[in-house]
Amino acid sequence: MGKMESALIKDQVREFIMTIAVRRGVAKVADDDSLTSTGVLSSMAIFRLVSFVEETFSVAIDDDEITSENFGSINAIQEFVLGKLD
Amino acid sequence: MAYHLPQLLQRSAEQRPQATAVWARGCTLTYRELEERSNQLAHLLRERGIQKGDRVGLYFPKSVESLVAMFGILKAGAAYVPLDPEQPSARAGYIISNCKMKGLVTDSLRLRKLDHETIEHRALQIVSGEPVEKELRNSVSWEALGSYPSDRPPDLQPATTDLAYILYTSGSTGEPKGVMISHQNALTFVEWCANTFHVRPEDQLSGHASLHFDLSVFDIYNAIEAAATLHIVPEDILIFPTSVAKFIETHNISIWYSVPGALVQLAQHGKLTKERFPKLRTILFAGEVFPIKHLQKLAELLPDVELYNLYGPTETNVCTYYPVDRSRLAEMEALPIGRACGNTEVFAVDEQGQRVIHAGGAGELYVRGPSVTLGYWGDPEKTRKTVVPNPFQPNFAENVYRTGDIVVLRSDGDFDFLGRRDHQVKVGGYRVELGEVEAALLRHSAVSEAGAFATADPTDGSRIHAVVALHNGSRLSESDLQQHCALHLPRYMVPANIQLREHLPRTSTGKLDRVRLKAEVPTSS
Repeated sequence: MGKMESALIKDQVREFIMTIAVRRGVAKVADDDSLTSTGVLSSMAIFRLVSFVEETFSVAIDDDEITSENFGSINAIQEFVLGKLD
Repeated sequence: MAYHLPQLLQRSAEQRPQATAVWARGCTLTYRELEERSNQLAHLLRERGIQKGDRVGLYFPKSVESLVAMFGILKAGAAYVPLDPEQPSARAGYIISNCKMKGLVTDSLRLRKLDHETIEHRALQIVSGEPVEKELRNSVSWEALGSYPSDRPPDLQPATTDLAYILYTSGSTGEPKGVMISHQNALTFVEWCANTFHVRPEDQLSGHASLHFDLSVFDIYNAIEAAATLHIVPEDILIFPTSVAKFIETHNISIWYSVPGALVQLAQHGKLTKERFPKLRTILFAGEVFPIKHLQKLAELLPDVELYNLYGPTETNVCTYYPVDRSRLAEMEALPIGRACGNTEVFAVDEQGQRVIHAGGAGELYVRGPSVTLGYWGDPEKTRKTVVPNPFQPNFAENVYRTGDIVVLRSDGDFDFLGRRDHQVKVGGYRVELGEVEAALLRHSAVSEAGAFATADPTDGSRIHAVVALHNGSRLSESDLQQHCALHLPRYMVPANIQLREHLPRTSTGKLDRVRLKAEVPTSS
C-alpha cells in the first residue's frame, strides 16, 4: 500500500466522520481523538460508518470487528482499513 | 426493613465484608471498603460545612468512586445530584446554580471547564486526578479522605422522607428540571425489585445506564441491597454490540438492565447465543418502547432468560411492569406496560375526569403511593401541575403523580402505552422536551423563530429535527446552528437536521403548528 493511498483513505474517513460530527455539533475532530468519548459516534452512527467503510473500500466487516480498537478514532479506522486491504 | 438508603450498604458490609461490591474499569471495592470509604467522605463533608439537606454534585465519569461519593453524601445527610459528565459545561453550570449546590465531587478536567463564578461560592470541591492549576479556595483532593474516621458514619437522625437525590431531566421551558427523590421514594422501588426479581448475593448486575438516568437506581441499590456485585459497563464500549456481549460473558452477568436500544443492537449485531451466557437469567428494560420484532428476536436468541418491561417516569422511578409472555409474543403488535408494581396504584383518568374502568378506555396514567416524587427542585408551580391531590380521595390529603402519558386499559387488566399529551419525546431512553431544543436554538441572536419535532428511529426511538427562521440579514448554516446547540444541549438533543425557512407555520392563535411543521419538512436525510 503506497503512502498516497494510505493518505487518501484517511481523507475519505475523515470527511465522512465530519459529516456525522457536525450533526452532533462537534466542529473539530483530530485524527487521534476518541470518537466515543467526544460523542461523535452514537449507537446508530457506528453502523452508518461501518456501511460507509464497507462500500467505499470494498471490504467486508464482521460484527466481531466493530470494536473501539478498530473504530475508536480516525487513525484507528485508517489502520483497520489498511489491514483489510493487505 | 431499611428506611434510609445507607442502611442497605451497612447491612451488606456486615454480612459480606470481603465480597466485591463494585467493579469498574478494572478497579474493585469490597463491601467493607465501600462502607469505610463512604464513612470517611461523610466525615470530610461534615467537617467542611456540608449539612443535612444540602446538595452535593457528582460530576465525573462512572467509577468505583461514584458509589463512594453517593453513599458518602447520603451519610452526611445531604442529597446527591449526578451530572451527566459529557454534557456541555454551561448546562452543568446551570444545574449547579439551580439547586444551589454546596459541594461538588469532580475531576480536574471538568472543574477546569466550569465557569469560575459557578463554583467560586461553593463551599467545597473534592477533586480527583491531577491537581488544578488555578488556585481554588475551597478545593480538597480525593486522597484527603484517608485521614477521616472510617468505622462509622456521622450520627444524624435521618428520616425516610429526607431528600436523597435530584435527577435533572429535560424541561419544556428551556432549562432542565430537577426531580427530587426521597429515601422512601427510592426504597419503595428497591424493595419491590428485590422481592420481584429475587436478587441474591451471587448475582452479578450490569451497570449500563448513566448515573443521572434513573435506570441506574436499580443497578446500584439492588446490587448493594442483595450484597451482590455491580459491574459498571465501560463507557467506551457502549456503542459496540460485540464488545458489550463479551462484557456480559466475561463478567458472568446474571441480571442486565438497560434501554431497549442497547438490546436491539445486541440482538442484531452481538452474536448472542444462549451457550455464551449460562448465568444470564433476567433482562430488564425501560425508558422507551421496545420494537416488538426486535424483542421477538432477542427472546429467540436467549430462550431461557426472563424478560421484563419496566415503565415509569423519573418522578415515580418505575410504576408498572410487564413480564414478557413468550407464548404470546409472536401474535403481539405492541408490548403492554403491564400493571402496578407493589406498594403502588396506577389508574387512568379520561377527558371527563373519570377513572377508566372498562377495557378499551383511554386516559392519562396517574400514580399513587410512596414512590411519587417530592416535586421539582425550586419550582413549586411546576410541581403543582403534575403532583396533584388525588381526585378520588375525599377524606384526607394525598398526592398523586400525573404522568402525561396516555394509556389504554386492556381486558386482562394490563395497560398499553399510547403516547404523550405534550411535546416530550425519548431519544435513547432519555427524555427530551422539544421546548428545550427550541429554547436552545432561540438563544442564538440571529434566530427569530425555532420549531423542533421528532420522527421515529429504529435504534434510538426518535430523531430530533428542527426548523428555524433567521432575523433579516442574518446568515447561518445548518452546522453553525448544530454547533451552537451543542453548547447548550447534550449531544442526543442536538437536532440531526436543521432547516432554514423564512417563517414557521403558525396556528390561527399564533402558536407554532407542529403538525404542519412535521408534514411540510422532509426528513429523509
